[in-house]
Amino acid sequence: MRKVLTCLFALWAIMSIAQNKQLLYGVEEIPQSLLLNPGGKISVTQKYHFGIPFFSQIHINGGSSGVSVFDIFEDSGGDINERIRKKIFELKNTDFFTVTQQLEIINFGWRAQNEIYFSGGIYQEFDFISYFPRDLAILAWEGNRDYIDYEFDLGEISTTGDLMTVFHFGANKQVTNKLILGIRAKIYSSLISYRSTNNNGTFVTHLGDGTINIYEHTVQDIDITVETSGFASLRELNGSSQVIGEILGRAFFGGNIGLGVDIGGTYDINDKFTASASILDFGAIFHTKDVETYHVSGNYTLNGIELLFPPLNIGEPAPPYWDDLEDEIEREIPIDTLYNSYTQFRPLKLNASLSYNFGKIIGNNAECDCRNINSGIDRDQSVGLQFYSISRPKGAQMAGTLFYYRRFTDYISAKATYTIDSYSTTNLGLGFVTDLGKFNFYIAADNLLRYGNLAKAKSISLQLGFNIKIDEE
Amino acid sequence: MKKNLNLFFIGAIMLFFFVACIKDTDFDQAEDIALTPILEVDFIYFNIDARQFFDETSSTEILTIRDTTEIRILDDTEIQESLIRAEFFYRFNNSIPRDFLVDIRFLSEDNDTTLTTQISVIQGSLQMPIVTEFIQNVEGDDIIDLTQSDKVVVSVTIPSSNANLEGILNLQSKTTYYLEF
Repeated sequence: MRKVLTCLFALWAIMSIAQNKQLLYGVEEIPQSLLLNPGGKISVTQKYHFGIPFFSQIHINGGSSGVSVFDIFEDSGGDINERIRKKIFELKNTDFFTVTQQLEIINFGWRAQNEIYFSGGIYQEFDFISYFPRDLAILAWEGNRDYIDYEFDLGEISTTGDLMTVFHFGANKQVTNKLILGIRAKIYSSLISYRSTNNNGTFVTHLGDGTINIYEHTVQDIDITVETSGFASLRELNGSSQVIGEILGRAFFGGNIGLGVDIGGTYDINDKFTASASILDFGAIFHTKDVETYHVSGNYTLNGIELLFPPLNIGEPAPPYWDDLEDEIEREIPIDTLYNSYTQFRPLKLNASLSYNFGKIIGNNAECDCRNINSGIDRDQSVGLQFYSISRPKGAQMAGTLFYYRRFTDYISAKATYTIDSYSTTNLGLGFVTDLGKFNFYIAADNLLRYGNLAKAKSISLQLGFNIKIDEE
Repeated sequence: MKKNLNLFFIGAIMLFFFVACIKDTDFDQAEDIALTPILEVDFIYFNIDARQFFDETSSTEILTIRDTTEIRILDDTEIQESLIRAEFFYRFNNSIPRDFLVDIRFLSEDNDTTLTTQISVIQGSLQMPIVTEFIQNVEGDDIIDLTQSDKVVVSVTIPSSNANLEGILNLQSKTTYYLEF
């Protein structure tokens, strides 16, 4: 029983939907695919859909580009500290750790009389990324004794974190026989946010040669900024319940507000090939309330404390060397607290795909439309390529996917994927969607090769949701 | 038939997730994780002119001069709890033709002596300064005394002096902190 509980807990802890939702993209049976491409295909018979509140999409992701749980905690009898040390030196400063979580609160959609499919909803999102500050990790793990004259790069600090509620509403329309376009407007209500990117500075310990003391500890060109919003007011609260209450109170437009838009489209090149693309979260959050920015800049060289042996009268205190040193450091490397508003662009996401459709003709297009011979015909199978990109502080992170989609019956479809991304080159995924009457259920997971031992996975994705779909009679 | 197929798929997928597991790992090892950085940090330094050992106003020798500084780095609770060993390295460069006795005394906030070191510095000359190096290793119970220190008093004693004495007594020093978090 204990083992089962451990496994369930581990499954929950790692259960995830990566930012890249390659298994959901383009699967028209899943209403949430419209969140990945507002111009995606929707079954022409679908009249309404409603997500089961809080269960229509659950999304938690924890990933690391360079290290797995197994790498550190393997039960091999070796020294865990040696394994950590080895990993610290293996990781690069472009490796990163991410935690992304989304919880869909409401999702709904309907087909209007003008054949526009409107959809909207609310979801809560937490997004965190931290690049691995390799030099700081070495300094913390090893100290500076064996790194005399080595310049530790303090600019490797690069991290962002956001907790927000997103309100969205979109429209999807087949504008020609070949082309579907869609757009989705978003309002972001930021609960708390921080960002520290584009930092600079080095720390080095030089062995002195003709210097006034044995070493020179030099902080050079330091320029580090941490922007925060929503944190300052929390300091005045007492206890976690007050903090949670305050944060939740911001969920409905109580925090800093932002605006964004998703656009996308699907184009049937001919009756075999279909292309699609989308741009998501083209927008920004305007942090104007409860903002605090900390900025450290300057240069300083520490040589220790110089004793002057001044002649003192009886009872006269020695010079305040330590206070003077602290004052000097604060003067040369001041930490400023600023209250200026700032704008934070959302991480822009791009999706694109090209698919080759084959197999049996299905759906309402089963009969050939001779007047539009090149228009899309739904078939029960397709293969294709997908591309995904998300903008991150140190550049875009990209993923390429090969997929195979098959509709087994009108009620069961599946999609298999092979993805190459920053986490791995052996990522196989499988998604499954079924319609049990009006009840729509989907589940998808990737990194299947790691399911034998999740600890060896650098990221694992599990997506599931429940919807009610109502088709035209 | 359709429902059976659906149930089969759902059952198969659920079964797959239940066989997924974490194995061959031991999270209890987290208790053994220890950061053991070794930090090299400059300590005190000085340049004492030979003339500081003679009061020209009263034409009298000043055989001992003394100075004090706080060392608040040892006030940090994290440092106090994590310091395993400390090694003080002192390097004197003496161009004064006198031997010196240097007393380095660590004091608590209440001015109680916690740790003390005496170093004999060999005399040099203006033409040939002499280097004296001294290492003080602090570990075991002495570490507790060191971490209770709040200030350090340095006393430099010269056996004799006069108005014509020339030269510089220079000190450079560093501390190597062996920490374990």
